[in-house]
Amino acid sequence: MALLKRKNKNSEEIPSTPYTKTTLITQIIMTIIAVLFLSPLAMILNYSFKTKKELYLNSPLALPEALQFDNYVKAFDKLNMQTTFVNTLFYTAASVLILALLCGTTAWAIARGKGKFFKFSYIYFIVGILIPYQALFLPIYTIGYKLNLTNTRHGIIFMYVATGISFGVFLMNSFMSTVPLELEESARIDGCSVFRTYFTVVLPLLKPAMATLIIMQSFQIWNDYLLASLYVSKKQLKTLTVAIQSLFSAQTSDYTTAMAAIVISVLPIAILFLSLQKYFIKGMTVGAVKG
Amino acid sequence: MNRRKSSGMERKMSRQYLVLVLPGFLIFTIGLIIPLFLSFRYSLTDWDGMSAEMKFVGLQNYVKLFHDKEFLESFWFTVKFTIGNTIIQNICALLFALALDSGIKAQKFYRAAFFIPCLISAVIVGFVWLKLYSNVLPEINTWLGTNINFLLFGDADTVLGGLLIANNWQWIGYWMLIYLAGLQSVPAELYEAARVDGAGPIKRFFNVTIPMLAPAITICVVGITIGSLKVYDLLISSTKGGPGRASTSMIYQTYTTAINGRQYGYGSAMTVTLVIMLLLVALIQVKGLKKKEVQA
Repeated sequence: MALLKRKNKNSEEIPSTPYTKTTLITQIIMTIIAVLFLSPLAMILNYSFKTKKELYLNSPLALPEALQFDNYVKAFDKLNMQTTFVNTLFYTAASVLILALLCGTTAWAIARGKGKFFKFSYIYFIVGILIPYQALFLPIYTIGYKLNLTNTRHGIIFMYVATGISFGVFLMNSFMSTVPLELEESARIDGCSVFRTYFTVVLPLLKPAMATLIIMQSFQIWNDYLLASLYVSKKQLKTLTVAIQSLFSAQTSDYTTAMAAIVISVLPIAILFLSLQKYFIKGMTVGAVKG
Repeated sequence: MNRRKSSGMERKMSRQYLVLVLPGFLIFTIGLIIPLFLSFRYSLTDWDGMSAEMKFVGLQNYVKLFHDKEFLESFWFTVKFTIGNTIIQNICALLFALALDSGIKAQKFYRAAFFIPCLISAVIVGFVWLKLYSNVLPEINTWLGTNINFLLFGDADTVLGGLLIANNWQWIGYWMLIYLAGLQSVPAELYEAARVDGAGPIKRFFNVTIPMLAPAITICVVGITIGSLKVYDLLISSTKGGPGRASTSMIYQTYTTAINGRQYGYGSAMTVTLVIMLLLVALIQVKGLKKKEVQA
């Protein structure tokens, strides 16, 4: 609460800051940098509408002659979109849903539980943040193979949950101080069990944290390459990013289709980000301040 | 009587909390911690990853590692890539955050513009920059009649720079957001007080802003370091570890050795080395930075 108040004060002051010459210069410099940052994205869009002929004959910086969606149709076909898109969406949605459920309850129980085990658990999960799964891809592949998790949907979802959980617990844990203990206590006096207290009292207060968690995990799982390429070799289980990578290596000269494929794959995550952005920024604020 | 009842209640609650922690604890243990120990075990063998036989060879794989020129090359590439990223990304992210917090208009637009690249898969980022360097940017030479070398992925001397540009383009916006969040939570009274004490903008920056940002700095430095040490996705669609072996990272080398080269035991030794490196670097960074936080 104190934090929110401080923030309000701060933002109230922004209009009163005079727009000086320095601010104007900053604004101009940042605009130039922002245009530079956006130009690769503009390039992707531009190429995704070009025909193969334009690619070879016209200047790379020229705009497409006509707005045609041929590349998108081709990309849809080459990526086997009706399968890969649905697969990726399913893996991402299922993993993120489980993570949101698990990380919230785990972090809350660790924050509230008394005893050595809970303290140990916190440190135990932190180790997972310091060792990204990519560093352990080799034994992760082996254990997946031994437990018959490779080439199955539940296997890859299990691994996304296992590799994402430590960050999620850490993130949610830093939000627990924003949940007032009095509310939990009064719920308990009313006879709520620990589980009911979580779902009726704590969870509604964790909205910004949940939005942050959902965005962060979604784009990581949606974009994951290494785990998806190790765990899945069956065609009907492949993900979008893996399909895009094979498209990249197959089409080095005519890459207009590849650019259209990129647009298609980025779009869902961009939409998710834009729709949850408000909560996400708030979530990042609490997380960063708490450390 | 009352006390006994409340301690019974506490025990019941403790058990319920335990039930909440256990599923996550188990999944995490199976998915990440057991593999970690497996890796250590396999690193002491000569297993090829397929056959039923494996021989215990002690620390032989580790001794071999320190004489393996290819591995040492990948080690140095990863270290250089990590140091470059940690410095550039932190400074740029902090500068961008300061600029956005300085009262410029349309802050939201800039925030989104810098953040969007990190929503894109590193596989795609690698491919996009490959095409930018080879097909799009050389056009600038035609326009201006200059002769700048844009083919950064084509030469062993420039490939690191080219990858650093691509990686920083992707991640600066993300870390900027954390710095921005930190900046916006610095109480305005602190700046007021410093101004009253006669501190100029530079003094205010080093005596108020930096100490107040200490937790954010810790998160960003450790996060960027870990993120860079694990680089792999960025390489497979852009340089493929080349030209030659100039951009082969440790994970890339592990993959080539263990999966393509069928030296699973030896690859496991590389995995263990990387894990030890990750833990050691994080420990040193957190210790060092936390000390600064306390001083502040």
